[in-house]
Amino acid sequence: MRLFRNSTVGFVLLMGVLVFLFLLDLLSGSVHISLYQSISTLFHPSSSDPQIADILFKFRIPKAITAVMAGAALSVAGLQMQTIFRNPVAGPDILGISSGASLGVALFVLSAGWVFGGTPLFTIAGSWSIVLAAWIGAGLMMFLVVILASRLRDMMTVLILGILISGAVMAVVSVMQYFSNESTLKSFIVWTMGSLGSTTRDQLWVLVPSVAAGLLVALFSAKFLDAFLLGENYAKSMGMNIRLAYLLTFASTSILAGSITAFCGPIGFVGIIVPHLARKLFHSPLHSKLIPATMLMGAIVMVVGDLISQLPGYATTLPINSVTSLLGIPVVVWIIFQHKKIGAI
Amino acid sequence: MEADFYIQCKGVSIGYKEQSTASIAVKKDISLHANCGEMVALIGGNGIGKSTLLKTIAGFMPPLSGELLLRKRPLSEFPAAELAREMSFVSTENIRVANLTVRELVGLGRFPYTNWFGRLTNNDQVNIDRAIVQTGLSGYENRPINRISDGERQRAMIARALAQDTRIMVLDEPTAFLDISNKYEIVRILHQLVYEQGKCIIFSTHDLNTSLTLADRIWLMLEDRVVEGIPEEMASAGYFEALFRNNQHLRFDPERDDFRIIREKHGVVNLTASGQEQIMAKKALERLGFEVIPAPSVPPSLRPSVSPSSSIAVIQQPKGWNITFQGTTQYVTTLEELCRSIKDISIQ
Repeated sequence: MRLFRNSTVGFVLLMGVLVFLFLLDLLSGSVHISLYQSISTLFHPSSSDPQIADILFKFRIPKAITAVMAGAALSVAGLQMQTIFRNPVAGPDILGISSGASLGVALFVLSAGWVFGGTPLFTIAGSWSIVLAAWIGAGLMMFLVVILASRLRDMMTVLILGILISGAVMAVVSVMQYFSNESTLKSFIVWTMGSLGSTTRDQLWVLVPSVAAGLLVALFSAKFLDAFLLGENYAKSMGMNIRLAYLLTFASTSILAGSITAFCGPIGFVGIIVPHLARKLFHSPLHSKLIPATMLMGAIVMVVGDLISQLPGYATTLPINSVTSLLGIPVVVWIIFQHKKIGAI
Repeated sequence: MEADFYIQCKGVSIGYKEQSTASIAVKKDISLHANCGEMVALIGGNGIGKSTLLKTIAGFMPPLSGELLLRKRPLSEFPAAELAREMSFVSTENIRVANLTVRELVGLGRFPYTNWFGRLTNNDQVNIDRAIVQTGLSGYENRPINRISDGERQRAMIARALAQDTRIMVLDEPTAFLDISNKYEIVRILHQLVYEQGKCIIFSTHDLNTSLTLADRIWLMLEDRVVEGIPEEMASAGYFEALFRNNQHLRFDPERDDFRIIREKHGVVNLTASGQEQIMAKKALERLGFEVIPAPSVPPSLRPSVSPSSSIAVIQQPKGWNITFQGTTQYVTTLEELCRSIKDISIQ
């Protein structure tokens, strides 16, 4: 299947779809806002209904932007991991990178509770600290997985390993919760229930630059990632600076997966499936095409997920993680069956 | 006086460094060399360290001791980017990246020459085109490498190394898993590159026949040492016999540049035949494990009436064969029937 013979046409089309879905996402929610109302509010915020402006600017736009960021970030992180591990089921959630980020946040939030008595969670400085904690947690976990995976080539073994590591990390987080006091526990639980909609406008000032930085690093390592397709030995024989390549990829995946986990909590499966969708649509394993394609596809998938999670017609919202899991797991099963035959990405 | 070798191992030990503790040497004290315009075949049994030696030469792992020199400079002194312009590598690994076209794969070989984003310039395209033509892959440029045959994929991997535009090419068993026609094609391409472009090609192989016929130099890894030389001198020095010395069923045949399987002898056959039939019958009988003593073509009346009881006499008839064993004679029409009867006799 080759949907886009010309990749430029593909990118333009995907951009169009994304813009359309983004607008649709602004319109959907428990309060009905018409297309005309929302557009006039977007362009003339002062002369419109302040209540609608509030809903749009304080809730729906930050949420839609968060969805775009989360989709692009998790998907590109997944793409990079699949390439460097040469494993089609690698992804930030399945290999425990997201759990590592959770552990980082848990350590920070719960220890901040002990130190300061309360938590500075909802300030800008607090946001940066949480993100930093998530990056460190994700980075350390990435490092651990790379060391373990270099000894195990088999994709299923690495998968099981990732599940074990995630389990262990989550157990540590539970133990920490058990020993923390009521108020810190409460703020931590609030964080773990995080969703796309819980990001405030202030937090976007932390989230957007972080994700942009991570994506930029990924775009700059496209050539390295291409060389990794043939394996580390070939990459070395072509004169690639292996350390620099790993450093860039580690930094990028940790920042991307860490930032999203810090603000939205764990969101599963997007990181695994979107790179495969991008490969299918653009019919190329080269990263100069795949990275932008994965960014766009990831954003689209996450906005769709957000639309579904709002359960049109109901006033409640489903947790985004449940939506992505329900949609993602069948796709992952399909990927596993496909790659039983092919063997590698 | 020491000659100018392009690449040289001086007392090199190869192997794996175990963390912090002792290192495990696969082979010690290797001294070898190769020059531009030479095709070097690395020969040795399974697990003797051929891959380890090639990986050491390619710079993937440092030698445990000794000197590894490229243009008289230690290999370790070359920065990665400079080494990539001197030496390319083709591994045994079967690369199966879905949807990667032959042209894109070959283009990856331009890695050391392209900018940070890997943009291919006109000069890069020229090199890619040339590599594709030289490996006979014209018309396959847009085929994905997971949808072409093993032989074509191996040629594509060689084209990728060619696009890297290096004097030295190191290939780890480039002909493994290929049928005889593809094997020949790969070796022919390599041979052409050596003679037309003056490349230095070092490849490991189990195919003694091709390497002894086409290689300029043999690097032979034996259990106790590593030796080198031109094929003919290696053969006359008896090194190939040493290759599988502990296997009594193999014998090196210098005429055929290859090993022969020595069979247990079941008996002796006196063969009376001539022409093509004689050659084919001799081959068939030898395959069944008989020593064949050719008898001159003489009229039946002059033949000894009694043959030794242990031996079988096979005599060509105008249309078929007479088999005489312990006084009884059997007539068969085809060579296949002859083989079956002889087998029956030897089982008795």
